Amino acid sequence: MAEVQLKNIKKVYPFISGEDKKKSRKKADEPEKKKANLQITDEGVVAVQAFNLDIKDKEFIVLVGPSGCGKSTTLRMVAGLEEISDGELIIDGKVMNDVAPKDRDIAMVFQNYALYPHMTVYENMAFSLKLRKVPKDEIDRKVREAAEILDITQYLDRKPKALSGGQRQRVAIGRAIVRAPKVMLMDEPLSNLDAKLRNEMRAEIIKLRHRINTTFMYVTHDQTEAMTLGDRIVIMRDGYIQQIGTPQEVFNHPSNLFVAGFIGMPVMNFFDGKLTREGDKFFVEVGGYKVELAKEKEERLLKNNVQSQPVTLGVRPEHTDVGETGIAGKVDVAEMMGSSVHLHISAEGRDVIIIVPTIDMKKNYALGDPIHFTFGGNVAHVFSKETDKNLEF
Amino acid sequence: MKKSLPPNASGGKSSALHNFGVYVRQHWQLYVIFMLPAFALTIIFRYIPMGGILMAFTEYNPIRGILGSEWVGFEHFQRFLSSPDFMTYLMNTLKLSIFGLLWGFPAPILLAFLLNRIMSKKTKQRIQLILYMPNFISVIVLCGIVRILLSPTGMLNSLLGTNTNFMTMPSAFRTIYIASGIWQGAGWASIIYTAALSNASKELTEAAVIDGANIFQQIKAVEWPAIKDTVLIQFIMSVGNIMSVGFEKAYALQTDMNLATSEIISTYVYKKGLLEGDYGFSTAVGLFNTVINVVLLISMNQIVKKMNEGKGI
Repeated sequence: MAEVQLKNIKKVYPFISGEDKKKSRKKADEPEKKKANLQITDEGVVAVQAFNLDIKDKEFIVLVGPSGCGKSTTLRMVAGLEEISDGELIIDGKVMNDVAPKDRDIAMVFQNYALYPHMTVYENMAFSLKLRKVPKDEIDRKVREAAEILDITQYLDRKPKALSGGQRQRVAIGRAIVRAPKVMLMDEPLSNLDAKLRNEMRAEIIKLRHRINTTFMYVTHDQTEAMTLGDRIVIMRDGYIQQIGTPQEVFNHPSNLFVAGFIGMPVMNFFDGKLTREGDKFFVEVGGYKVELAKEKEERLLKNNVQSQPVTLGVRPEHTDVGETGIAGKVDVAEMMGSSVHLHISAEGRDVIIIVPTIDMKKNYALGDPIHFTFGGNVAHVFSKETDKNLEF
Repeated sequence: MKKSLPPNASGGKSSALHNFGVYVRQHWQLYVIFMLPAFALTIIFRYIPMGGILMAFTEYNPIRGILGSEWVGFEHFQRFLSSPDFMTYLMNTLKLSIFGLLWGFPAPILLAFLLNRIMSKKTKQRIQLILYMPNFISVIVLCGIVRILLSPTGMLNSLLGTNTNFMTMPSAFRTIYIASGIWQGAGWASIIYTAALSNASKELTEAAVIDGANIFQQIKAVEWPAIKDTVLIQFIMSVGNIMSVGFEKAYALQTDMNLATSEIISTYVYKKGLLEGDYGFSTAVGLFNTVINVVLLISMNQIVKKMNEGKGI
């Protein structure tokens, strides 16, 4: 259990000699290049920058973002597997930048389990304790305790190859928890499991979290995992933090267009709309449909002194209502999901998804059927056309 | 239309074997095309010459041929085994082989572990290139280099400030032979281990680092298990060749003064067979050598299988 602080952390991968030469041939007036959206400077490729985060004791933090956004690099810097180019990493009040991984009192669960194939489950779990010269009976007690928690006692004598993916991941978690680390790091631990097992293991991790009561840092690209596991979520893109907040906050108040599009399934619908300020009131207008924004939204826009302007309007599929009037569109596909139907619509030159609960379905939609839909002023998100930022922030 | 199954279609060992059989039957022409040349070459160059073994049991006369020569049974073997030099040659061969194995076998493995620790790809490639190069020097050229380096006016003597002729010292022969062998072959032999090490999971090494393992513990827990099977197979093969000490190098490093340690079975076979024309006798000695190799190979394979959960050749 410990607080973790990441202060202005930066990670730059220096050029290897060949790249360096190529870089030196770059003309002075040539614009700065980007590699897979990562910034390239004279020092090298910048994978993470301006990363500031205070993780509270026993908090469960999830780093989420698309591939290459720097989330795993950040976790690896905390683990000590990557050097920190700049900034400070503080664990439990001590600066850890130059401390060896084994002395950071952290444990890590890897995506591919990282179990020693020639060792039994017991030996795998006991390995780190053995290296720390913990007495044998204590090792035995701790391993059996962890195995009990994870329900893998019956597999202690087996080798990893004789276990299923889910069981292997439990062993990997068990290996981490026997050490009772101050910080538990998990790098996409469920990515290799099938959908059903992933759901089960997610629930297991939630239960485990309450049992072992330590600080967690969890990396995933799966927003469902992020939303269900995290006390707070850190959304990253191209090496930068986009937003930090509780799952509710990032879902209800996305700070920018990227977060709005990344969090939520199906993804948020976006329209080219218009924000109109009439005194202290704000209206959004799209496809001839005009609605006044909710009071709290208006207050935030007023505080930011936002004026009338063209905006990107975002509305979540579950917040969109089918009606007789409103924005007109045509049905492309109707997907029956059981409890709801996902209507894929072409409207205002965009592909729009509307989730309609099955019990509210008044008719069955077919390809090309005309449809109208509306949304409330409390669920509309307005993003600047220029900066992509949410105008409420 | 018939649907062919891949050779490794799942469903247990016997069904996989059955599927493979079906697959081979369906594509037999392909197998014939690929296998026939190799099969023919093996028969022509490996099996037909075995007929020459008969020479070991005859007083071979090149004019009469193998079948026309006088049949002497095990006489040549008896002559060799009862010869006063037999034990010297056998012990020289065994010592050269065993010491060569003890010193030479771990060298490429250690080299592979070291190469695996080099993070810079470019540096690693350069070092590998330097290490592989001696392999392409011919044995005779290598022996020439060794002779020059170790001559009384050579580099080693200059460094030591002495004028010892190492090539005339029977006690120095094995060291020279083995050390030059390691220098020449260790880099090249490390390729197979370097390749096997590339399969060692990077994540596993990182997990070991976080677990608190030092470099040696990392090698023991992660890298050694990744190459263990390869090492065992190489070891069995090396033991199987323990008596097959190449004659060229020993002959090229031989001097009249170091014969006490440098005369080995293969140089003896060469001298008897080709220089003295005693073909039957030298074939018998060569056959004796081969039989011991086969026995050693089979025994070592059995021992390793017992020690290594049934894994061997």
